[in-house]
Amino acid sequence: NNSRDYFQERMDKCKRFLQEFYSEDDNGKKLFKYGAQLVALAHREQVSVFVELDDVAEEDPELVESICENAKRYTGLFADAVHELLPEYKEKDVVAKDSLDVYIEHRLMMEQRGRDPADTRDARNQYPPELMRRFELYFKPPTTNKPKVVRDVRADSIGNLVTVRGIVTRATEVKPMMAVATYTCDQCGAETYQPIQSPSFMPLIMCPSQECITNKSGGRLYLQTRGSKFVKFQELRIQEHSDQVPVGNIPRSMSVYARGENTRLAQPGDHVAITGVFLPLLRTGFKQAVQGLLSETYMEAHCITLMNKTEDDELGNEELTEEELRGITDEGFYEKLAGSIAPEIYGHEDVKKALLLLLVGGVEQAPKGMKIRGNINICLMGDPGVAKSQLLSYIDRLAPRSQYTTGRGSSGVGLTAAVMRDPVTGEMTLEGGALVLADQGICCIDEFDKMADADRTAIHEVMEQQTISIAKAGIMTSLNARCSILAAANPAYGRYNPRKSIEQNIQLPAALLSRFDLLWLIQDKPDADADLRLAQHITYVHQHCRQPPMHFTPIDMRLMRRYIALCKKRQPMVPEALADYITAAYVEMRKEARVSKDTTFTSARTLLSILRLSTALARLRMMESVEKEDVNEAMRLMEMSKDSLQADKSSATRTQRPADVIFSLVRELSTEGVAGRGGAGGVVRMAEAEQRCVSRGFTPAQFQEALEEYEELNVWQINQARSRITFV
Amino acid sequence: STTGESWSLTLTIIYSKTDFSNPKSGWEAKVVEFFKDRLKEKDAHTWVPSLNDVPLHYLKPNSLVKFRCLIQDMFDPEFFMGAYETVDPSTNAKVLRCGRYKDVTECGVSLVDFNSRNTVTAERQTFYCVPIPGENPWVKEISSSLFVNAAPYQARVVPSTSYAPTRQKRSYEEDDMDDMDTQPQKQREPHSGINSSQGHTEQHGNGDCKRQETEAPSSQTASASHLDLNFPLPGEKGPSCLVKVYEDWDSFKLNDTLEVFGILSVSPALSALADEKDASSSILDPTESMETAEEQRVHSPPASLVPRLHMLYARPLPHNNPLLPSATLEDNSAFLSSTLSEMASVRAELLTYLTHVLLGDALAAEYLILHLISNVYARRDVLPLGKFAMNLSGCPAAALYTQRFYQIIQQLVPSSFYLGMSLQNMNQMRLVPKKDYVANRLVSGALQLARNTFLFLDETHLEQGQLDTTGVRNVTALGNLISWQKVDYDFNYHQMEFPCNINVLIASEGRSLLPSDCQIHLQSQVSPPNMEEYLSNIQLHPQTSSQLNKFRIYLSVARQLDYSISDEMTKSVEDDFVDMRKDDPQSVSAEDLHRMLVVARLLSLSLGQTSLTRDSWLRAKHIDMLRRSRMEQHQCVNGNEP
Repeated sequence: NNSRDYFQERMDKCKRFLQEFYSEDDNGKKLFKYGAQLVALAHREQVSVFVELDDVAEEDPELVESICENAKRYTGLFADAVHELLPEYKEKDVVAKDSLDVYIEHRLMMEQRGRDPADTRDARNQYPPELMRRFELYFKPPTTNKPKVVRDVRADSIGNLVTVRGIVTRATEVKPMMAVATYTCDQCGAETYQPIQSPSFMPLIMCPSQECITNKSGGRLYLQTRGSKFVKFQELRIQEHSDQVPVGNIPRSMSVYARGENTRLAQPGDHVAITGVFLPLLRTGFKQAVQGLLSETYMEAHCITLMNKTEDDELGNEELTEEELRGITDEGFYEKLAGSIAPEIYGHEDVKKALLLLLVGGVEQAPKGMKIRGNINICLMGDPGVAKSQLLSYIDRLAPRSQYTTGRGSSGVGLTAAVMRDPVTGEMTLEGGALVLADQGICCIDEFDKMADADRTAIHEVMEQQTISIAKAGIMTSLNARCSILAAANPAYGRYNPRKSIEQNIQLPAALLSRFDLLWLIQDKPDADADLRLAQHITYVHQHCRQPPMHFTPIDMRLMRRYIALCKKRQPMVPEALADYITAAYVEMRKEARVSKDTTFTSARTLLSILRLSTALARLRMMESVEKEDVNEAMRLMEMSKDSLQADKSSATRTQRPADVIFSLVRELSTEGVAGRGGAGGVVRMAEAEQRCVSRGFTPAQFQEALEEYEELNVWQINQARSRITFV
Repeated sequence: STTGESWSLTLTIIYSKTDFSNPKSGWEAKVVEFFKDRLKEKDAHTWVPSLNDVPLHYLKPNSLVKFRCLIQDMFDPEFFMGAYETVDPSTNAKVLRCGRYKDVTECGVSLVDFNSRNTVTAERQTFYCVPIPGENPWVKEISSSLFVNAAPYQARVVPSTSYAPTRQKRSYEEDDMDDMDTQPQKQREPHSGINSSQGHTEQHGNGDCKRQETEAPSSQTASASHLDLNFPLPGEKGPSCLVKVYEDWDSFKLNDTLEVFGILSVSPALSALADEKDASSSILDPTESMETAEEQRVHSPPASLVPRLHMLYARPLPHNNPLLPSATLEDNSAFLSSTLSEMASVRAELLTYLTHVLLGDALAAEYLILHLISNVYARRDVLPLGKFAMNLSGCPAAALYTQRFYQIIQQLVPSSFYLGMSLQNMNQMRLVPKKDYVANRLVSGALQLARNTFLFLDETHLEQGQLDTTGVRNVTALGNLISWQKVDYDFNYHQMEFPCNINVLIASEGRSLLPSDCQIHLQSQVSPPNMEEYLSNIQLHPQTSSQLNKFRIYLSVARQLDYSISDEMTKSVEDDFVDMRKDDPQSVSAEDLHRMLVVARLLSLSLGQTSLTRDSWLRAKHIDMLRRSRMEQHQCVNGNEP
């Protein structure tokens, strides 16, 4: 009896809470949150009611604890409380919504008619409460309740209210599940009700009514579908996220039962957080006898929240702790963060800094509807075997959302998107390629130079407009591809030839190259000092099976991800005062580009790049505005990237003699001729050659000089009439 | 005596003496301790019958058995009654029983009291284990011969060569190679109803297999037809097992190789359970349909086919070479020192032998030894250290050289797999394991291999043609495996990276399309007209088993050795590198240094030296130089040819 009193007292508590809980709005008016819902429930305008445990905690923190530990019991208690309160909140007559409403109404009326008016007992008591209840009650977890990983839900969680996160891997169809079975007797006509708690039940056969038992008439019961109560039922299977799985383990999964309003909320592939009661599944009959030892478990869903798979969801919303922040933001944090990118790759500090900025990204600007991307695109070029692919692979792992692909494309879809015909239905479907899949992330493209032509045209659009337009097979659409592109390209001739332009080296059009904010040439240059450090690095790895001690310990990947996610939230602005400084710097760069024979093209795009890089730097410092140092560093990086392209300073600065330039022009002409005339290679008409050279700003005298010089070298021969040059 | 049966008796005694009602009595620890101690006794484990050797129907239920296996899949943990109470309906007497190491309640006439306050809910984990994929016949043969207690099972210990003969037999015969290509496809057709053994019989109808079929108990074949046992490699045979782990399951990883000691459970009730579930599908119980028939079949297969093994103790296997003592090398210094002293001489013999096999090319043979003992010994972020994938180019296409070559290697390494890279194979085979959410299991693929498995990719089979999506994915997977020693398992909604440690050798005519750590072009000393004869001679060349065993021990030991580089050597290597760069910067890159250090490491180990010496370093430099000059030479020859 003690326990009954206890639960009566608890139920009163629940009732009180539902009736009295209120919050005040701006005008100081009391809003009865649950009171209002009770009215809606009473009028059948609302089906489910969520009891927010945060609200309960305001009134009675101890009660929340009990609820979390014994959630199933308290669901019942709260439901009973609501059930008892509902008549008080009923303000008007309710129109029956379905046949079960009508059925219940009839039973109540019949009961009242056949009853002694003096008896004031509530008429509904005779019927099982489960049948009469047309509402559903769920708990919403307290915000202090941290979501668990599926593998941490253990035997000790049984009966508790737990929250887990995961990805839905399976969802059954929604099926009706019997909640109350109603039978009629074929002898006495009495109705019998059987509330069903477990998933399976043993149907009643013999009529238990007083009449049948005294008459021993042996009335048989027949199930009445119309009078029975069914609830919607769906089973989900969720699997933990890949980042929650320890290395070398298979992701765990868990069954979730969703009923009523909780059904049809999630589909396979959705990322969800589900709060529910972790319960053992009771089996009956033969199965129980045999299996006995085993008990399956499931989660009775209370609250299913869909999460879009953005970075913060994956990383957990927890802010960085003070300590972690201090660890990152102390002296030289920029170098430290950059150095933590691919610590196993030695050197390339500036490249790593650039990659760090790529991860953080610049701020997207949208003045007057014109969208200027904030994503930073970087292209790494270089001789084979300079760890380009390794850098890409590391960024792919580090970035919360990324795609790694090669320019050749790993599937028929390629980089952009393809329209595919479904082999079964024959329907046309749109399938996104790597760039679309990397939307809001980073697309790492290895062997960028070997891209298919179709992709090459599409990538122009992606890199500036950040969309992909499709007009194929009657499908006309534009897909978002707001991704940063990190490309790696091999030089066309095996090794980078500093004497040739970038376009020639990479065999990519200048229009495409100019869309990269930074082009970086990683070269394998001999330098005794650097070589020694490199050798020390490598031998250390082999000697000690680990990285050499650095002047700092690399920041953990997870921490880095979280820090970058935090940085991304900042939207730094360029202050008015800096605008002039940047403009002046840009003008200076244009001037410089005009004077020196520059390998890259300085254009308005360069200016935008500087802005992007500076905002990324400001983000990295977690500041709200860009400072002069950011701009300087951005320009320094641009400068370094240009320097890297000029390869060997000593040889590059040596200006070419006019004769050499003329020779290469004639050589070019001869190869053009081959293409044009088909086979007559190595012969150039003199007039044509001279015209070409003069148009390039050489004097005819210089041309003649070059002709003789190279004839002497026996590179080409000139016929008697001096009308043709023939290459030897 | 210490036979398995008497041990299980002991266990019963421990059970009866323990007070289960007190969960803190620590009896579990005592039991495990007891077995560990017994198993540590000298050669004690040779007394325990092995599921690998003895057919299941000869083993006693509830006895102690062992199983040498690979963890192929991990199921979700299950909750069970660690202790439960039974009530005798006639006397009302209550008895507390233990639910550990059992699948089914033992209550006789009495009933289980599910509402008892004394019930203890406990948790255990299930691993799906398969025999080590690609384990070579000699390993099975020797392992089963070590089983001393064979008397009770006499004539039942099926010599493992005939127990699992199909795979290596097939690779001996050339026309069977093509069948191997189609086989995996056949097996994976969901409802084709052809299991591997039946499919095999139908295809070949060879008498050997028929005999086997008749030997097997009929129940096994009947149920086998519905069940795909999910072996990673096509055509594998042998028992698979559901291993129930009670303790410390977080210490196990997928693809770990273990020797599990546990209590065998083959209760027919387990199969009855599955049947009953299939039959009953009622609309009144929607939860019933949730566990699909497929899932049911996978997670509770008939115990006659997939026995349950309740783990008492598991020994991680650093290798599966039965010729090595079971204790770790450090613990067995006598064995180690005797082997070490012989290593140089065995190496010389092996080199001669392999030179002969490689058509008289001593340099290639040298590299082959290095490759065979290579091992990923450490990992740093994405970079695996110590891998040494080799591309043997210039393989003669004639006379099925590559197949013969593989058969010879098969005799030397404990586990291996031959993958003919034909277009058909590439387009059809499942290399990467994939999660099947319907059956809720990891469908295995050919790249789910144990550590140090020798994977032989035969590119001479490749012809011109179209790779489809699967083909591209397969080739990418092979590339990733070689470059990063990892396989990205397909979990449909995302991929998961599983590190691996597989020795990949690619045999090709020209340079392989796959990456490799080192490419060596075979320079045959044999003139082509004599090739056929030469090859058949290699095949016939009698290797005494003692010599073979020496080679086998040598290769396994060399791989297990520790290795270090002194600071002094480090310094001189660094200086060497700087000097080399000074002379000709194009000649040697960081990558080359990496490789040379790996070569030096393997070279030292192959000689039984556990630290780098000046000589070894110079020799490593020398052979790497020879190899590279050969490549250049080869390229030049090609360039000048009309």
